[in-house]
Amino acid sequence: MLFVEFRFFWFFLAVFAVYWSLRENRSRKIWLLVCSYFFYACWNWKFLFLIIASSGLDYLVGTMLARTEDPRARRGWLILSLTANLGTIAFFKYYNFFVTSAAALLEWLGLPASLHTLNIVIPVGVSFYTFHSMSYTIDVYRRKLKPVSSVIDLACFIGFFPQMVAGPIVRASAFLPQLKNIRRFAEVDARGALILFLTGFIKKACIADAVAPFVDRYFEAPWNFTMPSAWVAVLFYAIQIYCDFSGYTDMAIATAGLLGYQLPINFRFPYFAANISDFWHRWHISLSTWLRDYLYIPLGGSRGRAWFVYRNIMITMLLGGLWHGGAWTFVIWGGLHGLALIVHREWQRRMEGRAPSRPLPTLGESMDATAGGPPKRGIMGWLAWALTVYWVCLAWIFFRAVDLPHAAPALRSFLFLPSGGTEDLGAWMLWIVAVLGFIHWLNFRGTFSAWWRRLPDPVFAAGYGCAFAVVLLFIPPHYAPFIYFQF
Amino acid sequence: MKKQFARNLGYSAIAVIAFIATSAVIHAILPPIVPKGVAAKLEFFAQHKDEFDTILVGTSSIYYSVSPEIFDQTTRENGLPTRTFNFGIDAMHPPENFYVLDQILKTQPRNLKWVFLETANVETKLHKVLGTERAVYWHDWPRTALTLRKALNPRGDARWYIKVSRLWVARRDLAAHLTLFAQRFGNVGRATEFLFPQDRKAEANLELGPRRDGYRLAGHSMSAQDAASFQRRLADEIARARPKPLDPCADEAYRNYAARFREIGATPLFIVPPLIFQSPVNFRQSSPGPLLSFNDARTYPMLFDTKVRIDDAHLTKEGAEEFTRLLAQEFLRRARQL
Repeated sequence: MLFVEFRFFWFFLAVFAVYWSLRENRSRKIWLLVCSYFFYACWNWKFLFLIIASSGLDYLVGTMLARTEDPRARRGWLILSLTANLGTIAFFKYYNFFVTSAAALLEWLGLPASLHTLNIVIPVGVSFYTFHSMSYTIDVYRRKLKPVSSVIDLACFIGFFPQMVAGPIVRASAFLPQLKNIRRFAEVDARGALILFLTGFIKKACIADAVAPFVDRYFEAPWNFTMPSAWVAVLFYAIQIYCDFSGYTDMAIATAGLLGYQLPINFRFPYFAANISDFWHRWHISLSTWLRDYLYIPLGGSRGRAWFVYRNIMITMLLGGLWHGGAWTFVIWGGLHGLALIVHREWQRRMEGRAPSRPLPTLGESMDATAGGPPKRGIMGWLAWALTVYWVCLAWIFFRAVDLPHAAPALRSFLFLPSGGTEDLGAWMLWIVAVLGFIHWLNFRGTFSAWWRRLPDPVFAAGYGCAFAVVLLFIPPHYAPFIYFQF
Repeated sequence: MKKQFARNLGYSAIAVIAFIATSAVIHAILPPIVPKGVAAKLEFFAQHKDEFDTILVGTSSIYYSVSPEIFDQTTRENGLPTRTFNFGIDAMHPPENFYVLDQILKTQPRNLKWVFLETANVETKLHKVLGTERAVYWHDWPRTALTLRKALNPRGDARWYIKVSRLWVARRDLAAHLTLFAQRFGNVGRATEFLFPQDRKAEANLELGPRRDGYRLAGHSMSAQDAASFQRRLADEIARARPKPLDPCADEAYRNYAARFREIGATPLFIVPPLIFQSPVNFRQSSPGPLLSFNDARTYPMLFDTKVRIDDAHLTKEGAEEFTRLLAQEFLRRARQL
């Protein structure tokens, strides 16, 4: 069941109506848990047991961590939780990758080996809910969070349907306190949530799905296409992945918001980032901050000598790439971003000094993210922006291509090298990129940010109904699944 | 608290009404959806409606098996000349065929005398291979309601508690048809037709056939292995054959269309093409028009010879010619009795 599906509307209507009609917080949490498990079971009920097992184990680990002060025992419990969670991801996502890579390495060393791969179905959202789960045990281990007293609370946090399958990756410390007190509908920013849902719906259903067929056509056989076609396909993919993922996140935040829960925002106009470091403060924020707090900083972070910091950055980005799936293309994607971050850091160290770090934004900030408009930029600022977007798009080639032979021709064309292909996607479609870019820029400047807040309630309600009817007109006939569901 | 709840409910109602009203207005402004596979024949017939006095409406079993050229030649030679158009469309089962019949009636053909309707039960399962557009276009309320009725009460005699239990049994079909109805009413994706118009000329030429009479050839006869399997299954079907009345939904709809075609001066005739299914199909009471059944291997063995069959439902060129001649002769015999 997806947010853009008709049946989700009926599902959410039932969840919403029953949830707000229940008087007790505990009943509401049980209802949410049942609905969340039903939501997941609609995809594959068998994998529901993984989520239940993960929740049960981490509840036990959390409880045991609170009971003992012995550092060795505490570390043991933490290792058990990490092993179980990372082991789940490793098996489902990376088993075949490691096996095939090991076989290739042995063959290269002149020791051909016959290793068997398995026909594994990757559970939807496994990378997301295990990260939710791990954030709980790590925070309890670090004594930043008290363990939950009820397993329902933890299960609700890990399985909460809006964020379960594709994020945002919510920290236990940010979500669990919200489960303590009963939510009141009067406190819900229903208007903001509804607009956010509509925005996400437009991004996913009207934009991402509309450009997807062109991208798919190109990346199926990139060697057949001309150089302008490569540019169209790569830029379209940049639009597709942004609209697809941020659209999903917008709908997830809005759905949670309508139930009275705040999820952190995941995107803040990443394609208007001033540099690559700024990009990672704007793209998939919940993952980048997770990796920063649970991987980069434990590795040593920004303390120490330059090469040590660069090593930490590269490890974090390579593992961040690998998080997306077991393929060398994702590792290269992470490596390219790591390289860019190192170069930028070195540049900053020599030229500008260090940029201040930013905290994780919230839904409230999401709605106000555009207030004040973009920062002013000089020529160097615009050059840096163009270089950042170019590098990000270049890295997307590896992210999208199924393997390296498919990535190579696209990369050649994107580097302005001649392509041998003759098929054409239509260079005029670059205008679509320009038009969408302009609309996005207007949004970045805050043009659409608040006028709808000033409308009287009945006018807003009528306008919302009309707007949805018009938006439905622009949904393309070919539906493309959410890209991040595969991760 | 209660006041606030009532107010929120009121705003929700306003949003829903605005959505429905906007969708209805857009729906009224936009031309109806005509998907590929259907568009060519509907558009061609609308332009040439008065040139034909006989049409055959049905599935691919009609499309690839009835040659208007041979049909007209046979009727001409026997003193009852006709000018025929084959309105057979791939996988156009009831109730989709009823929607197409409505479109044909809307063109107000003045010279229509004979309407052959392939007779079958209402299908509640969707043929996903045909694509979304093809599934959506006929899901107006009358057709959706008919499908839901069939899904909830397939034999027409279910009591209320059986219907309630069928809600669960048929939940997937019900959800699928209601979604398609909502998709049609909500004009989902209609803008793409105008933003990215498709050139359907080549497709239309193919679908109308080389003589532009709606007939085209399907393929070659089945392999020896398939032939053996066909003969085995045919023998089973013959052994199991029992008269089967049409389901009440289809029965009622066919009667309704028979009456409407009579109103414009045309005579409805019902055909069951030479399918492997050997059970005689009957109307529940008296037939609303002559019923021409060819799904009988004992009466028409030449149509079930594996040399003239492509599969369970389709005939080769030779088979189609033979079937057309038999159909025309049966038609002449019945027409003279009318």
